[in-house]
Amino acid sequence: MMRETWQRLKSDPYGLSGLIVVSVFFLIASCVWSGLLGQGWYEVSGTRWEGISAEHWFGTNLIGQDILQRTLFGTATAFEVGLTVTICSTLLGTVMGALSGWYNHSWLDEIILWLKGVLDAIPFYLFAAAVAFALQGSPWAMHVAMIVTFWTTTARIIRGEVIRIKQRGFIEAARAIGLPGLKTVFRHVLPNTFHLLLVQASIVFVAAINTEVILSFLGLGIQDGVSWGLMLAESSQEVLAGHFGNFLAAGTALFLLLMGFNLLADALQDALDSRRIVR
Amino acid sequence: MSNSSLQTKPPMLELQDLSVSFDRQRQLAVDRVNLSIQEGLTLGLVGSSGAGKSSIARAIMRLHDADSGKILFRGEDILRMDPREMKAVRQRIQLVFQDPLASLSPRRSVGQTLLEPLQHFALGDTLSRQEKIRHTLHTVGLDHDVLRRYPHQFSAGQQQRIAIARALVTDPDLLIADEAVASLDVSIQAQILELILDLQKDLGIALLFISHDLAVIRQIADEVAIMYRGQLLEQSSADAFFSGPAHPYSRALLTFASSAEPPRLPDGNWNLEQARSAMEVNASCVFAHKCAEKMPVCEQLEPRSHRIQYRDERAMEPHCVKCHLYDEATGNEN
Amino acid sequence: MTVPALRVSGLSVWIGSGADSIQVVDGVSFDIDPGEATGLVGESGCGKTMTAMAILGLLPSTGVRVSCDHIEINGRDVSRLNTAQRRKVLGRDIAMIFQQPATALDPVFTMGQQISAVYRRHADGNQRRAHEAMLASLESVGFERPEEIAQAYPHELSGGMRQLSMIAMAMVCKPAVIIADEPTTALDSSTRALILHQLQQLQALHGTAMLFISHDLGVVRQSCRNVMVMYCGRLIEKTDCQNLFSHARHPYSAGLLSCIPQLGATRPGRISSIPGQVPALADLPSGCHFAARCNRSEPRCSESTPVLDAQDKKGVACFRPL
Repeated sequence: MMRETWQRLKSDPYGLSGLIVVSVFFLIASCVWSGLLGQGWYEVSGTRWEGISAEHWFGTNLIGQDILQRTLFGTATAFEVGLTVTICSTLLGTVMGALSGWYNHSWLDEIILWLKGVLDAIPFYLFAAAVAFALQGSPWAMHVAMIVTFWTTTARIIRGEVIRIKQRGFIEAARAIGLPGLKTVFRHVLPNTFHLLLVQASIVFVAAINTEVILSFLGLGIQDGVSWGLMLAESSQEVLAGHFGNFLAAGTALFLLLMGFNLLADALQDALDSRRIVR
Repeated sequence: MSNSSLQTKPPMLELQDLSVSFDRQRQLAVDRVNLSIQEGLTLGLVGSSGAGKSSIARAIMRLHDADSGKILFRGEDILRMDPREMKAVRQRIQLVFQDPLASLSPRRSVGQTLLEPLQHFALGDTLSRQEKIRHTLHTVGLDHDVLRRYPHQFSAGQQQRIAIARALVTDPDLLIADEAVASLDVSIQAQILELILDLQKDLGIALLFISHDLAVIRQIADEVAIMYRGQLLEQSSADAFFSGPAHPYSRALLTFASSAEPPRLPDGNWNLEQARSAMEVNASCVFAHKCAEKMPVCEQLEPRSHRIQYRDERAMEPHCVKCHLYDEATGNEN
Repeated sequence: MTVPALRVSGLSVWIGSGADSIQVVDGVSFDIDPGEATGLVGESGCGKTMTAMAILGLLPSTGVRVSCDHIEINGRDVSRLNTAQRRKVLGRDIAMIFQQPATALDPVFTMGQQISAVYRRHADGNQRRAHEAMLASLESVGFERPEEIAQAYPHELSGGMRQLSMIAMAMVCKPAVIIADEPTTALDSSTRALILHQLQQLQALHGTAMLFISHDLGVVRQSCRNVMVMYCGRLIEKTDCQNLFSHARHPYSAGLLSCIPQLGATRPGRISSIPGQVPALADLPSGCHFAARCNRSEPRCSESTPVLDAQDKKGVACFRPL
């Protein structure tokens, strides 16, 4: 099945270009993590607001830090936030969604639905501020805020799909030999939600990076390090003064990565859609 | 099959006054049904959609709770079994469904699908399981090179063969086939029917064959039971049934099924509008609103299941009809 | 000589594009006279529904390629019409009855609204006259109280009633041709008999030509005078129903007939079945597609393709017919 998906993805030019863009960014992030790139993000290596030069490709910021270095490091931050939030919220959402879908109309389903309703009713940025305040200075406050709110959409999708799959013949066949409920869920139900999960995870990834930028801009984001959001926050002062270095670098990087990811997600959705399998 | 010892043998599966209902629905899906299936023989259960045929199958497998009555499997009531005893029974009774593709897990290979029941019932070790799978695939006419492939890569006929293999892999004594050939083309249907008949001959399993198609039932069944709106209207040996169906509904079904050139409507009221309004009227015989031979008593008194004749020595059960026409106490001139 | 109500010649359909495309309908040609019912029989995947969709012009424009010499309704070629012109033809001159009335009907409108909408679009915009035509149409399919049906939403009707309403909708403009795609497959035997009965009555009354698509030879025998057998995208035999059942000439038709289970007082012996499997459309053998499964095949069967005389009512595409 993976091979079929890959074949279809390969023949989609938009999806393939999206994959390339995301791969390049991921490569940069890996280099930052392994200490090859962007290590000088905090060094003051020049004077304030230098223009583009051979030494500072994207110029420098207010206090003379190299914008290229900061952009590269921001890539790693983006992936870190994106991956952490995506993995945790998808896992949480899958488990919650599978439970409430499989035990549809039970007290467990009611509780999970109620929890989802409450979380969805709280304005997100207010909630993020509250979490940041509650976790006082913890570098994970932003992650926690996102994970706790982002799982609801995944859970809703998985719940609907599980309810739908539950009525299919092969579930009946599994019940007919007396297979226990949880085994059935993991062996027969969840593998059939894989295509939805992958697409939903890519949407969450994009949302997480986006939200990180906004939260950082509001001062609720990254505490230690630099991110594209922090750079954009800095740039709000600079743009008025006519210095576009931070704004262009962070904005372009953000735009490229999100665009690439969206293209990839769309292509994946098409490629994984089992209805398109020609029999 | 013609051996007289059958008569003394208790039936393999016996339903006694089985009733099944869906939630919030007044009408019973299965209404006090008595049925029995003998070791090694085939019972054809016939009826239109919604007659309660599948509900019986689901109740036997405990996929749906029964309201009342008993389901005796070799003398023991399935409905009162604890999970351990039930697990042993599930190994002995297996199901084959109507839509072969839907009944196979789409992301599991044929090998994984066939292995699952063996693992679940802890049958054999790793090596003997593979041998068993290969042997079963061979029995249903598939090569073992299909093991790594996925359900959607097969044709409908092959998919149904895989589903049958999954049912056979635990060496069941009773196979329940719920419209197992209804969604297949005639040429494939013929192949699958042939396969089921061969398997039954070789393995000696009993078969509960549920179908709406009388011609298919004719091919495969030793015994025929006719259901209408949850009730069993007629039960008889296949030969007796097809040479002379007794219940007016059975006769109508047979008229519909025989392909006369112009579509001919048998006597009786088959108008769809009136059928709908009749749903609310609680006539005492479930078939009264459509019956061509309706008598006043049919709307007042529920008919008893009535024994109309004794069959030849091969017969296991008498020919029973639930109709006032054959009841000397209530029916008049007939 | 009468002009046929529906004339299809040289119809081919490909799915996919370029070298990967699969031919699902291969040079289908036939005539149906006014008032005549012709069955199109074949196993699933043989191209029956594709043929119907191509005649109606309902296939998507991307991913599917259709070519034909012409498709004539009452002598008028409709195959070269643009979308707007075709829309005028659909429902007025040619109508379709689907297998699943539950999905073909719009759940938010009453039956009456849906049927009068068809009439108002194609015949007469007047609301009152459309209402009358709608009631008349519902009555003609056998409803005793058409007003009740007109006010009902599709989900309030039983499967059989929905299919009858669907037929009323198809017949409201008295089209020259109706195409019925497995109209009774999802129904019980008693309802099926009723629907086939009504279809035949209506057809006789209005002189409508009908293309009746089904996998079930028994149903085709009950409702059609002529029959065409399709295998792997090609018509392989055209004849009348009587003839097909008494002496089918193509070995595939004969095989198909022998697969139908028979009802009788004595239990039939072994079921005969056609050996082998239908070949995959992507990988069709050359020559006659049935040659590999045929017990009468000879070398030339897989070298050259036997052809069916295009507009003739009877014929068989076989070098060694039975």
